[in-house]
Amino acid sequence: MTGYIIRRAMVAVIVTIGIAVISFLMLHYLSPSPVYTVLGAKTSAAAAAAWNHAHGYDRSEPAQLLTYLGQLVRLHFGYSYKLGQSVSALFKENAGRSAYLTLAALVLSLIIAIPLGVAQAVKRNSLGDYTATAINFTLYSMPSFFLGLILIQLFALDLGIFPPTVSDSVTTTWQAFTHPLQLTLPIVTLAAINVASFSRYMRSSALDNLAQDYIRLARAKGLSERAVLMRHLLRNSCLPMITLIGLSIPTLLAGNLLIEVLFNYPGLGLLFYNALGTEDYNILLAYTVLGGILTVLGNLTADVAITVADPRVRL
Amino acid sequence: MSAALEVTNLTTDIQLSRSVVHPVGNVDVKIDPGQTLGLVGESGSGKSMLGLSILGLLPNGGHIVEGSIKVEDRELVGMAEPALRRIRGDAVSMIFQDSQSSLNPTKTVGEQVAEPVRLHRGASRKEATDRALEVLELVGMPQPKERLGTYPHQLSGGLRQRVMIAIALACEPRVLIADEPTTALDVTIQAQILALLDDLRDRLGMATLLITHDMGVVAGRTNRINVMYAGRVVETAPTDRLFSAMRHPYTQGLLGAIPRLESDNRRALTSIPGIPPDLTNPPPGCRFAPRCPFVTEKCIEHEPPLSGSDSIHRFACWHPVDGPIKRTPQIASVDSSVPKRSNGDAAHLLEVKDVFREYPITAGVLQRKVNSVKAVSGVTLHVDAGETLGLVGESGCGKTTLGKLIVGIEKPDSGQITLDGREVFKLRGRTLRKARRDVQMMFQDPYASLDPRMRVQASLREPLVIQGIGSRKEQDERVRRMLSEVGLPANAVERYPHEFSGGQRQRIALARALMLEPKVIVADEPVSALDVSIRSQVLNLMKRLQAEFNMASVVISHDLAVVKYLSDRIGVMYLGRLVELGSGDDIYRRAAHPYTDALIKTIPVPDPVVERSKDDAGIRGELPSPINPPSGCRFRTRCPRAQQKCADEVPELRRFGPGHRAACHFPLQTPILGVDADASPDVAVA
Amino acid sequence: MTDPIRPVVEGVPGAGGGGMAVRLPLESTPPEGGDVQVIASGWRLALREFLANRLAVVGLAVLVFFVVFCFLGPVVYHTNQSLTNPLITDLPPGGSHVLGTDDNGFDELGRIMAGGQTALEIGFFASFIATVIGTLWGAIAGLAGGIVDGILMRIVDILLSIPYLLIVLVLATKYSATVFDESMIIGLFAWLVPARLVRGEVLTLRERDFVSAARVMGSGRSRLVLRHLIPNALSVVIVNVTFQIADAILILAYLGFLGFGLQYPAASWGDMLGSAQQYVSSGYWWLVYPVGGCLVAVVLACNLVGDALRDAFDVRLRKR
Repeated sequence: MTGYIIRRAMVAVIVTIGIAVISFLMLHYLSPSPVYTVLGAKTSAAAAAAWNHAHGYDRSEPAQLLTYLGQLVRLHFGYSYKLGQSVSALFKENAGRSAYLTLAALVLSLIIAIPLGVAQAVKRNSLGDYTATAINFTLYSMPSFFLGLILIQLFALDLGIFPPTVSDSVTTTWQAFTHPLQLTLPIVTLAAINVASFSRYMRSSALDNLAQDYIRLARAKGLSERAVLMRHLLRNSCLPMITLIGLSIPTLLAGNLLIEVLFNYPGLGLLFYNALGTEDYNILLAYTVLGGILTVLGNLTADVAITVADPRVRL
Repeated sequence: MSAALEVTNLTTDIQLSRSVVHPVGNVDVKIDPGQTLGLVGESGSGKSMLGLSILGLLPNGGHIVEGSIKVEDRELVGMAEPALRRIRGDAVSMIFQDSQSSLNPTKTVGEQVAEPVRLHRGASRKEATDRALEVLELVGMPQPKERLGTYPHQLSGGLRQRVMIAIALACEPRVLIADEPTTALDVTIQAQILALLDDLRDRLGMATLLITHDMGVVAGRTNRINVMYAGRVVETAPTDRLFSAMRHPYTQGLLGAIPRLESDNRRALTSIPGIPPDLTNPPPGCRFAPRCPFVTEKCIEHEPPLSGSDSIHRFACWHPVDGPIKRTPQIASVDSSVPKRSNGDAAHLLEVKDVFREYPITAGVLQRKVNSVKAVSGVTLHVDAGETLGLVGESGCGKTTLGKLIVGIEKPDSGQITLDGREVFKLRGRTLRKARRDVQMMFQDPYASLDPRMRVQASLREPLVIQGIGSRKEQDERVRRMLSEVGLPANAVERYPHEFSGGQRQRIALARALMLEPKVIVADEPVSALDVSIRSQVLNLMKRLQAEFNMASVVISHDLAVVKYLSDRIGVMYLGRLVELGSGDDIYRRAAHPYTDALIKTIPVPDPVVERSKDDAGIRGELPSPINPPSGCRFRTRCPRAQQKCADEVPELRRFGPGHRAACHFPLQTPILGVDADASPDVAVA
Repeated sequence: MTDPIRPVVEGVPGAGGGGMAVRLPLESTPPEGGDVQVIASGWRLALREFLANRLAVVGLAVLVFFVVFCFLGPVVYHTNQSLTNPLITDLPPGGSHVLGTDDNGFDELGRIMAGGQTALEIGFFASFIATVIGTLWGAIAGLAGGIVDGILMRIVDILLSIPYLLIVLVLATKYSATVFDESMIIGLFAWLVPARLVRGEVLTLRERDFVSAARVMGSGRSRLVLRHLIPNALSVVIVNVTFQIADAILILAYLGFLGFGLQYPAASWGDMLGSAQQYVSSGYWWLVYPVGGCLVAVVLACNLVGDALRDAFDVRLRKR
């Protein structure tokens, strides 16, 4: 088993390097140098050339790539000229808040999706199953910000329970945690979209397992339906979920971005969005690479978790 | 003494989305303590559904419509679910066919065996585990203490089945329902498990319901047999009486359709034409009428009741028969006792020389080859024009791999395969393509071997199209002819594979293999996936076509009776090696290798007298893994005659008669000395 | 009786088929193998399964409706979509404007039709690009095997690890002005999933007996691919296309909301939601919910159809 993990880790490293290379090349193609953003659009060619030379933007592409990779290894994500800070510092500032939002939404969605999926499978084709499926399909087909707008309309504007956007006074993660009303709509919106896909998957996994013979044998032992579900079905149905969560990291990041923009929540997503507007390419590049690294780590963790949880996979 | 299990007039329905199926109708079953009742039938007969009905484990939409089920005089029909649950796994338990999928893959063996004990006896974890250990010992699990912590996928099929039996017996049930308990197992393991079930039944005094399609299995292990067809019990009698003096035509046909080891393979098998009825719309009269050779108007209109002259032998038929079929016609122009060639030095059509094939296993960080599955290890044999060679053996013996090598789907790691003197599969391009006409294959799985997107017309034309034979019109004509040869209607050409039954698909596969009129045809498990009554149809067909087309065949099967029926010579394989080679008679009456002998003795035979006279439980132990086969003679770990020499030296094939060879240091027959084992092939006698 | 009236043994010349003692008039002897029960042809069976799924039929109907609505609607319902009219901006629904007007004085309903046209166009175009590239890539990888497969799939793994939305957004900073641009950036990274799917399907199919059977008959590689592998892999591809369209339209919505969209005055549904937040807080609900509703309806319909297609193909293969 250790051999398997080491092999997967090595693959992960290769993939990460690949991500960095491709992202860098793409960014470089779009914006070879930030000189005009820094010095202004009307700066002279000579001044631009001088600045480029001073900052190493006139070297060959492979050379710049290598420098970039070298910086990455040391976790230097570059410098934001627009905001006047190192990208790493900016990330550190915002990461906590984003992590809180995403993790809270993830946990909430799992708490709802897992029992819901199992219940749907057990009561297959009942009215409840159809209703839940209909709701799931609709949520799944909805852009997350649209759901957010509907919730804002209903609960913030019409009913006034929650604020329509996160107040500016929430600046640290701790504050986010201690002001649940502020964060309710963002977390619920993000969770709702996740619930849609998770519970669909869970339902299908539970259905697959219900059709298996070992469920029939468990019943033949005289176990009550409830015992069969809890002791036999649940654990085996959750196994594919582990892989799914690992694979969902890109989706979670995307959702995070949209929700932060919608609710004006100061996190990495909002940072990225602003950088899009100001064409602050270093932030864009850094966040993309970071996203890639998180995805790779997520997959690796899921792989390892599966080998621990499922005895059949132990190699 | 009241019956342990008494089922009266049970009828079960299953509500499907668009229709209602009636899998079980008016069935009676009665088993006394310590007795075994055999429930025999093919797929769709309702036998499994009956077992599930007794336990109340019907699938979604299923419910008992009428009847009564009494376990020790307690009525189960209408019982509330919680009370039923107390009985399940405690007073009545069940064993299922597929031990692989019936055990929870993420729980240890110990946990699963202890579970019913904790549930029904309220035992603590420690007490339950102790009891689990006890039961595992009872079922003959080797090293039971270590096994408590293993997972199901780490065990072999036979051991997993023992675990299932242990689970069923953990609370000492009064009634045990065994649904096809040994169907998925190898023959030698099957014998062990069946003997175990008998032993446990005697020790615990259980009433056992043995559900199976295999007449051989019920012959020696049951006191009484109920034969089911299309949801009804068509005959019930004590075992001896059923086999020697059956009254229902279906029972008669069924027994006649089974190829037997001791019978003459020149005689055709009884075949029951057609297929079982659709149970969403069963025929109004006798359900067997459409296929019955004795059918009359009365049979079509009125369903016969279960009746008989005495109460212990009853049957449902208006025109009952009197015992088994005495003689079946001989199949024309098939004479199997004489080898086909006329002189000993003539070239063989197909020659396999010292062929090896291994599958590498990789592991570790760099995925290096650490070991290999030794599928075929040095097999030499030959097939002559017009003769049929059978290859028989259990799982892991390499017969399927050998088949693939002969047909060229895989390449041997070393050794030669020649057809008509040419190493066909070393050719390339167009010459190879042309040469492929001479060797064709009929695959095992009738569902997987036909392209689901191609109509039958296209599938059958394909060999001709690929080989560029004939014009479109000629090809179509040939397709039509071949379809009628294999007994399918002409309108089959328009249909897709999924519209046919298993037996029909196998006919199509056979037709396709014959389209190119090959010199050699390899049939891999041609009838294993089919029901017994359909099997005989396909076997008869194959036998007739063999004679008609005069082609050489290689028939591969785990079923020795099937192989013996179809073949002139038989090769017995074990763990990648050929251990014995000879005619059907040689193998059956004069087996020289202990493995062959054990196989003959353990195969269940549909004859109660013979079955009961078998005294030993066959071969001990499990099949070794083909990854690490034993040194020297690979059978030595299970052989009663094994000695040191067997571990040191690989035995060579030695002659025991014309065309009869075996590889054993201490064989059961005396070898013929003076002739080099590897010399020219067997000389004809006549 | 011991032996039956007529010979029960088939396969012996003269034995005849069927074996029924009573011959019903005008009925020909059924062949030995039994009659073939007519179910339906493969595609027709799948179609029947599909149509049996009521939701799927609804979904299909919705899609058809929207195509007609968006492309033929303007023919029936003329509106001004190019000249701004500051006098009638942001009017609520009523009078001659069924759904009110937007920031520029354009009729909202007309805008939805026009927006739908571009959204559907981009959706189909992007998924077409993604499917073609993905299918070819996956098929080559699955067929070639070995190192080629390893390299091709490694590239897919790397690209899949980069969050899709982020890449699309980054590209959108430069390329999002035209329908072609938007289709390209959406499609360029959406081919990864179909590539994986097709490769998986090809690998499974390669091992199937009917492929081995064709090889035994002497079939060459190209015939295997064209006649056996591709037709069987088709079902996976078709199902995937519907999901691709759904995803493309969703991404379009995200792009629009985040401020990237077509060059004015062209607009897709996504662009129309660009200022959705302001509209909501200003109370201009008719500029947000109808558009959003249409978008959700189309995406939902695609998902329903795709799901049902997947089930229909599966059932057919499992049908015995």
